[in-house]
Amino acid sequence: MGTIVSLKNIHFSYGRVQALGGIDLDLAEGATGLLGPNGAGKSTLLRILLGFLAPQRGEGRVLNYDIRLELPQIRRYVGYMPEDDCLIPGMDAVTFTAYFGELSGMPRQEAMKRAHDVLFYAGLGESRYRLLETYSAGMKQRLKLAQAIVHDPKLLFLDEPTSNLDPQGRQEILELIKDISSRKDIQVLICSHILSDIESVCSYVVILNKGRVAAQGRISELKQLKFRLYEVKIKGEAEGFIDRLKNIGCRVDEAEDKLLKVYMPAEREISDFFRLAVEANVQIRHFVRSQTTLEDLFAKAVGVD
Amino acid sequence: MTVREKGYTHWDGELKPTRHPWWPITRLGVKLAFKKKYFKFIYFGAFVPAFAFLVGIYISERIEDFQWMVRGSTKILEVNPRFFNYYFSNDFLLFMMVMILLASGAGLISDDLKYNSLQLYLARPLQKKDYLVGKAAVLVFFLFSLTILPGLVFIVFKLLFAGNFSFLSSYPWLPLAVVGYSLVVTAFFCFYTLLLSSLSKNKRYVSILIFAVYLFSDILHGFFYENFKQPAFALISLKANLQQMGAFFFRQKPAYPVAWYLSLLILIVICLVAAIVLRRKIKGVEVVK
Repeated sequence: MGTIVSLKNIHFSYGRVQALGGIDLDLAEGATGLLGPNGAGKSTLLRILLGFLAPQRGEGRVLNYDIRLELPQIRRYVGYMPEDDCLIPGMDAVTFTAYFGELSGMPRQEAMKRAHDVLFYAGLGESRYRLLETYSAGMKQRLKLAQAIVHDPKLLFLDEPTSNLDPQGRQEILELIKDISSRKDIQVLICSHILSDIESVCSYVVILNKGRVAAQGRISELKQLKFRLYEVKIKGEAEGFIDRLKNIGCRVDEAEDKLLKVYMPAEREISDFFRLAVEANVQIRHFVRSQTTLEDLFAKAVGVD
Repeated sequence: MTVREKGYTHWDGELKPTRHPWWPITRLGVKLAFKKKYFKFIYFGAFVPAFAFLVGIYISERIEDFQWMVRGSTKILEVNPRFFNYYFSNDFLLFMMVMILLASGAGLISDDLKYNSLQLYLARPLQKKDYLVGKAAVLVFFLFSLTILPGLVFIVFKLLFAGNFSFLSSYPWLPLAVVGYSLVVTAFFCFYTLLLSSLSKNKRYVSILIFAVYLFSDILHGFFYENFKQPAFALISLKANLQQMGAFFFRQKPAYPVAWYLSLLILIVICLVAAIVLRRKIKGVEVVK
């Protein structure tokens, strides 16, 4: 599996305010969710990946092109769906979409033909000749998706793709994104606050907090949905106890203050836990059921409840 | 099977860098301008002086046929550099150019700022200069059609009506003067309009600015000149500076006894300020929402 985005020690500051403080990322193919609270550096990271901003330190590659030296190539093969409503007054959707296809390097007639296709795909086929000013919020959202995919990008950046949408519209946009990312070998990076959207579309997640990567990995691995997470503190020899836990299928991470995070398979009983403690001759001094959802993971990663 | 049912399909073609990536921006700008009815009215109205001068050239060559109309005032119909200077520097033409800037140029950048489309442009393989060149070329198209095009057409028609090249041999530098003055006027108006268009997200406000700055600078010049009788106050007026440049290019006595290079300096300074502001404003949109 190839690496689509590779960043090393990326730093960026707006004046004295540090937005990114040493980001290291390697994103593999597939759909990746970019999560983080406001001010975490998500938008700054997206802008650096698009080449809008030059990092003050560090290096990076997008689709194997250098983010400092090969911006036109990156922008040619990347599609970008911004968070804000974007339009050009006086245009209809076909002309608008074809126009941005042409600016991406498509021949004019091909861009026009392709614009019709992607507008039908995005669900705007019937209203593709309407003036953009008359579009509803949901239609504008679909239009942004259409202009982002008109040139058939290899990598798609989606910034809050489901904002301003009603539940049905949101579901339809998510289905389109799933279709694009799962079956059409287009890599997708989604920046969103809606964790359920990320969960439904992405297999990989990066959580940013205060300009740093707070957590990253496969959602399934991070969440360990089939596991119950416990936080445990013990007195005694930990190694033997940890080995026994691993033998029954638990994953054990050691945190600060000798805290053990134990991911226990769902089929296991809590009594197994205490039985192993007795066998390993350790005392359990702290035992708390902990986070298992992406929300919990997010909250934990960014340090909020 | 509909496109929706079929799902997403790949495009078979290949994305290629183009020699003039700004061209679609220009084409769209011109097309959108012509969609406005009032713009068509202004634009075609701006050609009235050109037609009048063209008729003047014809009459000047058939003066004996139009004696009943001219009644001895043949001097005004002499086709010479003064005739050209009068066309290029007349108040009506400059006023109509400002109206065209107002109608076609006010929204060039301000609409992109208002409707957030600038980020869509910059997410494409376009450089900032491509974006700005594309926008400026919209204005270049309209302004050239009122300056360089009629100027050269006048020369061609003068030669055709005269049936000889004596006019060109008398003033061989005239085509260059037409091109040079057209370039100065067009370049200045492009920077002027794009600067003001980048200052606000409100197109109407920009339109008012384009008109008001041009008019107010002239009113200010008149006010100071009347009170202090100093011709140097002509440098305040955008119109007067352009007319000074016209007089220089067409080798005529300037309307104000002020050195032409001072007027050129004023215009260049405005263009430089515009370039700096544009550079910062376009960058500013990229960095801070």
